Amino acid sequence: MVPMTDQIDLLVIGGGITGQCAALAAAEHGACVRIVDFKRNAGSHANAGSLHVQMQSRFLRLNPHLADNLESSLPLYLEAVAAWEALDRKLGGVELTREGGLMLADSPEQMTFLRQKAEREAKKGLSVDILDRDALPKIAPYLGSTIMGAEICHDEGKLNPLIANRKLEARLTELGVEHVYDRIIGFDMTTSNPIAKGTIDHSADQIVIAAAWGSGALANELGLAIKTPPEPLHMNITEAGDYRIHHLIQHAERPITLKQFRSGQVVIGGGWSAQAGEGDGIPTILSQSLLGNVALAATIAPGIGGLRLLRTWAGYNTPVDGKATIGPTLLHPRLHLALPGDAGYTLGPVVGQCAAALAMGFDPLTDPTPYAVSRWT
Amino acid sequence: MSKLRFTFDGHDRTAAPDLSVAAALTECGTQAFRRTDSDAQRGIFCGMGVCQDCLVAIDGVPNQRACMTPLRDGMQIETQIARPKLTAPPAQKKAAKRLTPAVLVIGGGAGGLNAAIAAREEGADVLLLDERKVPGGQYFKQSASPDATPLDPQQADGKALLRAALDAGVQIQSQTEVWGAFDGPEIMASDPECVYAIRPRALIVATGAYERPAMIPGWTLPGVMTVGAAQTLWRSYRTLSGRRIALFGNGPLTAQVALELANGGAEIVLLGEAASSPWKRTQAATRMLRSDPRLTIKGIRMLAELRRQGVSLRHMTKPTKIEQTDSGLWVSYEVHGRTKQVEADAVCLNFGFQPQNEILRLLGTKMRFDSRYDQLRPERSEMMETSVHGVFAVGDCCGLGGAPAAAVEGRIAGRAAAGSKVTHTKEQSELSSHRAFQDALWQVYAATPVQLETVTPDTIVCRCEEITKRVLDDAMGNGHTDIGAVKRATRVGMGRCQGRYCGPALAGYMARRLDLDVQDLSFFAPRIPIKPVDIGTLVAAENLLDQDGSDD
Ligand SMILES: Cc1cc2nc3c(=O)[nH]c(=O)nc-3n(C[C@H](O)[C@H](O)[C@H](O)COP(=O)(O)OP(=O)(O)OC[C@H]3O[C@@H](n4cnc5c(N)ncnc54)[C@H](O)[C@@H]3O)c2cc1C
Ligand SMILES: Cc1cc2nc3c(=O)[nH]c(=O)nc-3n(C[C@H](O)[C@H](O)[C@H](O)COP(=O)(O)OP(=O)(O)OC[C@H]3O[C@@H](n4cnc5c(N)ncnc54)[C@H](O)[C@@H]3O)c2cc1C
Ligand code: FES
Repeated sequence: MVPMTDQIDLLVIGGGITGQCAALAAAEHGACVRIVDFKRNAGSHANAGSLHVQMQSRFLRLNPHLADNLESSLPLYLEAVAAWEALDRKLGGVELTREGGLMLADSPEQMTFLRQKAEREAKKGLSVDILDRDALPKIAPYLGSTIMGAEICHDEGKLNPLIANRKLEARLTELGVEHVYDRIIGFDMTTSNPIAKGTIDHSADQIVIAAAWGSGALANELGLAIKTPPEPLHMNITEAGDYRIHHLIQHAERPITLKQFRSGQVVIGGGWSAQAGEGDGIPTILSQSLLGNVALAATIAPGIGGLRLLRTWAGYNTPVDGKATIGPTLLHPRLHLALPGDAGYTLGPVVGQCAAALAMGFDPLTDPTPYAVSRWT
Repeated sequence: MSKLRFTFDGHDRTAAPDLSVAAALTECGTQAFRRTDSDAQRGIFCGMGVCQDCLVAIDGVPNQRACMTPLRDGMQIETQIARPKLTAPPAQKKAAKRLTPAVLVIGGGAGGLNAAIAAREEGADVLLLDERKVPGGQYFKQSASPDATPLDPQQADGKALLRAALDAGVQIQSQTEVWGAFDGPEIMASDPECVYAIRPRALIVATGAYERPAMIPGWTLPGVMTVGAAQTLWRSYRTLSGRRIALFGNGPLTAQVALELANGGAEIVLLGEAASSPWKRTQAATRMLRSDPRLTIKGIRMLAELRRQGVSLRHMTKPTKIEQTDSGLWVSYEVHGRTKQVEADAVCLNFGFQPQNEILRLLGTKMRFDSRYDQLRPERSEMMETSVHGVFAVGDCCGLGGAPAAAVEGRIAGRAAAGSKVTHTKEQSELSSHRAFQDALWQVYAATPVQLETVTPDTIVCRCEEITKRVLDDAMGNGHTDIGAVKRATRVGMGRCQGRYCGPALAGYMARRLDLDVQDLSFFAPRIPIKPVDIGTLVAAENLLDQDGSDD
């Protein structure tokens, strides 16, 4: 097919939060940037806007063998929320708040688990405290009576992803970043500039792959054994209520995230599964996830019981190995990966910025060496 | 009969028994039930449980639909504020049941009742669910009062059909709303006491249609409602939506309801029809007469009766703007290109119908767009089976067809769903003549539709999220070409009604702007729950998971 002729400095494959933030950073440094996106199943369009920092009990439970990966990434999470705060200012507000996140316990064993977890996290620089039962009614009066205590992580927060995505897109358009719809299926490295092959050829000086679940197949083309299976996840949202739930709520043992947008709606998730779509189709809802997830939310926070459930949806998360992958691929130094790993919406801005920085030669927000591609060879 | 006592915002009120909360408030002269996030007032709009604009708080429980809730003695009703407090509601003791009928029918209108009877006659055990207090659907619209004498033959026929279904042994559950449909098919529904997970051997969807409004400035004001809402207030509750009523629409329903309301004692200040006079469309009118002389003559009689009642029917008339004044609603309208105004207490709008196909779309049945009716229709076999094995669809949820066609489709589907292979050629020929009648009818009533192209930028398109046309235009100007992206960028369709009003209007508007064909993907993706469901119900339903041990 006819290659696009204009000179592109950076081609970003994938138009989710990671790819957009890579494009933003490069464009702000004066680069000519194109995003090529398949426009299917972006996790960034399905996610719930939790800014995660503390280790999610869910990830530890499902992937005990990857606990070290998660723990060693904690500094990146701190950088990530700082990057989000900068983005919030730059975009003129995305309803970001950092009032902290509570991880609840309802048994002495869970309290012990939280204490140990908090100790490990404090060592990595997180601002965490253990709260007993008496401390809770004042800050979270909507919680149920079975809750014995909680770990609070003061670094955590939330934002409204619909607003963030919309404003980010507008900002990119302002900066002249071009959006192209295409699916990349491979690369041609024999020409002077690398080419990403889709229905047309996309040639650029540097290429960043930020295609989440689509990255594995592209990495394989480059000889890297990275697996990026999509994880279909379920979400729920209620109608609006008075704004009372300020924290991001999780549980030490049960799969739940619960928070309230400033617009009053309560968003309930926490990793309940959905049914994978056929082919490229969107995932569909499973009744047991809907019932289990909402019932759990209502037990933990009976205060939401007067609201009605408005809607559910499902999307693809790309947890990879619980650790970000950032930087040039070894055989082809002009091709770069930007994979956040778990909690990708939180990590997207910092991961995208770092990958673009390595590609274009400006300063990354944090040292990306621990997340280099080399661990995959 | 003794009156019921209740309070509204602390004031004592009384009303006749067997009213909905919405009818009782209307009887007391209240039109505004809730306040939106921008502090605008809203009241009854659809009258059938889909728009979610009639919300009130009842006995401390927020967000109850006044139109679907029967009034009880002693109720404390309050204006619904935009954001209720987060307080745990009184503990509900809802039961949860798993049901496995051979045939499940969703909807008890002309289509559903006939389907249920036919399936029962083949020996199947049949469960029929309907969300209303008394089934019957839109055509047979029943009185909510068990001892009321039917208003007319239409209501009497409905009462007889309902009786026939019960006599045939159909298990009918009223006030039971279906809110979830999952692969299987597995259907989730609830009534005030119980929540159900139902896995039938065969499913018949007969959920009917809702009405298409005219999106004009002021269409969200209290007192502005669909024609069907005013009809329900009258036929089910003997309540008039106002003393002075103006009706605007396209098609015979608007005129029929104008006559019913006039007979009920309302002053019809204007009856505006968008189409030109039927006498000017002689070819189509002749075809109509040929395919169903009885119905055509009924229609002609109705128009004569309207004239006798002194109701002036104006053709080529469309509303353009509605404003609230101290003395009522001030409607501007265009007639033959000239702008005029009229004042009324209630304004009723009906500009066509929109199939309630959410359950079908959730189950993944193949749909195709019928541009003549501007509606999605499921692909069906001659036996009314959709592309999903064991899922049948009949009546207006498959696109407008009218009650007689719904009845025949129901009989065919009912037998097939019960396993019978017998076909009756007579039924197929009846169906073709009913369909020919509908086609001719809508050629007689052909009019330029009220489309988003013609409305002013400030007009609200999404009632729930209060999104104007300007905001949508801006999003499309920013290069969004699929409806999901416009939804995420603007919140259009993210409200309580699930985009039932803005969705179809926007789908058509976008397709015309982008010069694309309308298809299933042009509409918002269907979402569970199809109507908001209270969290207590979901908690009760979770017990069903524990019962089968299928919890994660
Ligand atoms: C329901 C749900 C809730 C979540 N909640 C949270 C949360 O609260 N907080 C949090 O931090 N994280 C959350 N996540 C995770 C988070 O959403 C994702 O990890 C994150 O959005 C990933 O961003 P991304 O930009 O890397 O990829 P994505 O947003 O997934 O975007 C990838 C893009 O690449 C495109 N693409 C794929 N292959 C190709 C190809 N070959 N060619 C061209 N384009 C391609 C896709 O079409 C897509 O548009 C949630 C995820 C889900 C599913
Ligand atoms: C508002 C309105 C008024 C009408 N009035 C007239 C008229 O006066 N004269 C005339 O000739 N035609 C009228 N029509 C057209 C006519 O009603 C239909 O052609 C005919 O009723 C179709 O029958 P049906 O069985 O397909 O649907 P309907 O009669 O509409 O029956 C559908 C039934 O399904 C139930 N239902 C829907 N969704 C759910 C759910 N999720 N859970 C449980 N139950 C559900 C509804 O309560 C309803 O009882 C009207 C249509 C509408 C929309
Ligand atoms: S009027 Fe009650 S839901 Fe529409």
